[in-house]
Amino acid sequence: MKQLNTSLGKLKLNSPVTVASGTFDLENLDFFGQDFLGAFICKTITRHSRIGNPPPRLYESEAGLINSIGLQNPGLDKFISDILPRLNAALNIPLVVSISGSSITEFAEIICRLEMESGISGYELNVSCPNVEKEGIAFGVHPEVVFELCKTLAPFTQKELIVKLSPNVTDIAAIAKAAEAGGASSIALINTLWGMAIDYKTGRSQIKMGVGGYSGIGIKPVALALTYKVAKAVKLPIIAMGGIYTWQDALEFLWAGASAIALGTANFIDPLAAPKVFAGLQDFLAEKKLGLQDIIGKCEV
Amino acid sequence: MKQNIPVRLDRRIYSREELCGEYFILWIWDDNLSRKCHPGQFFEIRAHASLLDAFDARSLPKLYKPISIYDNADGRIGFFIKKVGAGTSALAKLKAGDKLELIGPLGNGFNPVSNKRVLLLSGGIGYPPLWYLQKELINHNKIFWLHGGANQDDVFPCDEVWTMDGSFGKKGMVTEGLAPLILEKKINLVYSCGPIPMLKQAAKITRELGIRHYTSLEAYMACGIGVCHGCAVPIRTDTKEDIEAGTSIPQWDYLRVCKEGPVFNAEDVMWSML
Repeated sequence: MKQLNTSLGKLKLNSPVTVASGTFDLENLDFFGQDFLGAFICKTITRHSRIGNPPPRLYESEAGLINSIGLQNPGLDKFISDILPRLNAALNIPLVVSISGSSITEFAEIICRLEMESGISGYELNVSCPNVEKEGIAFGVHPEVVFELCKTLAPFTQKELIVKLSPNVTDIAAIAKAAEAGGASSIALINTLWGMAIDYKTGRSQIKMGVGGYSGIGIKPVALALTYKVAKAVKLPIIAMGGIYTWQDALEFLWAGASAIALGTANFIDPLAAPKVFAGLQDFLAEKKLGLQDIIGKCEV
Repeated sequence: MKQNIPVRLDRRIYSREELCGEYFILWIWDDNLSRKCHPGQFFEIRAHASLLDAFDARSLPKLYKPISIYDNADGRIGFFIKKVGAGTSALAKLKAGDKLELIGPLGNGFNPVSNKRVLLLSGGIGYPPLWYLQKELINHNKIFWLHGGANQDDVFPCDEVWTMDGSFGKKGMVTEGLAPLILEKKINLVYSCGPIPMLKQAAKITRELGIRHYTSLEAYMACGIGVCHGCAVPIRTDTKEDIEAGTSIPQWDYLRVCKEGPVFNAEDVMWSML
């Protein structure tokens, strides 16, 4: 298998195809080899365990999926004792740990603790989950808070520091610039959009929490536009996601300025989406005699 | 019950059977797969729609649907399906020779037992997993099957049937007949599958009578393999109080229907939260 090398800040990736936090775990690697992936981004970890949101947590809409998981996770200590050793034993690609917190201090506490562990290549700061109140997204919507967060965390680690942005903001470019100024080394975008579905017969929301996070093919044009805007605004590399199902979708995001892409909902739609996207990109580039660097950010308007 | 590593594959539909109302059965052949399956397990299945095809056709691929195993014998696996939404309607259009996408077998099935007096309780599309279960149990147990449906189109072979509209069998909610039957037949084990209100009522009755009761739950799913946590249901766990840290760790947790389930001890399900 010929490699499609790309880089994301300090990370050298053997493939521009990665996976979105919370949509992919070791179980998925029962279906294909990890060589197709540039990095493995795990489900978001918080300082303390989170039980998650009440069900129903899912609803499949016309063109995508609404979810309301609520960052269910066993917490930092269990992650270090149980999950991290399993990930390290299984993975030979870079592991990026997604983390979220309710204060800058809590983010710092998590990173400092994880810095004592081996086998972690980077951190993704989830400041954009729409399914938790007063956590995550409260950070992601204010440029000055994102700046403060990155400025505080950057000195604690030499590893890749990715900030994952929310599309549910007025000016995403301003937030990306704040992350860059604060010392983040790359940007991930986009997290889910607000989404809702109602049973028209009964008037009852299909999601117990009312509003959830909308992902999948329906949000692709939004994600592409925001990728393009942020790529124009900052020099940081971008890992783009939002409705990427096929290699053709992936190419659009690379043209728009992403250095790597992530598959999220696509992993549910087709467990073999990642190797299919990788093979499609490889064939396209070979046929056109192009390298990834000839594509990334070269969109003509 | 031990879980096998699920596989993802495409299989041609070998035959299709029409049943009453909105129900139908799709049969596939696969010797290897057949040997791995246990009663109570399920597959994520979908009408064939590869992402590459989808791009060309500009049609939108949808999620797999969790469908329990209805029958499994010597390589022949059956999926007994009710047409309810977009996903199952796409499955309903399939005929013999068409391709089916599968991921499975998934989840923990029912534990095999012997020398028990078993009552099977099903409601509507809760019937199929209990059919596979009774085939496994029938030689070593006494079995009585109680089934309920909205009307005569939801009725399948069993020992006693109830319909809400009285169009077939006894009229009313099937659980009305549960307590007398448990006592009369000296039942000591109940297996159930069906709509939540029915299961909730059945769990109340078996708890009052002190009868062991395993129930198979249904949930909206995305991945089916334990990754997305979308199918979580509240289940009582053995977690203890952490006195040292001074925190009260909940005595229940959201467990995944696809991974820790779909079969749970009815006593452990936090019914009031469902």
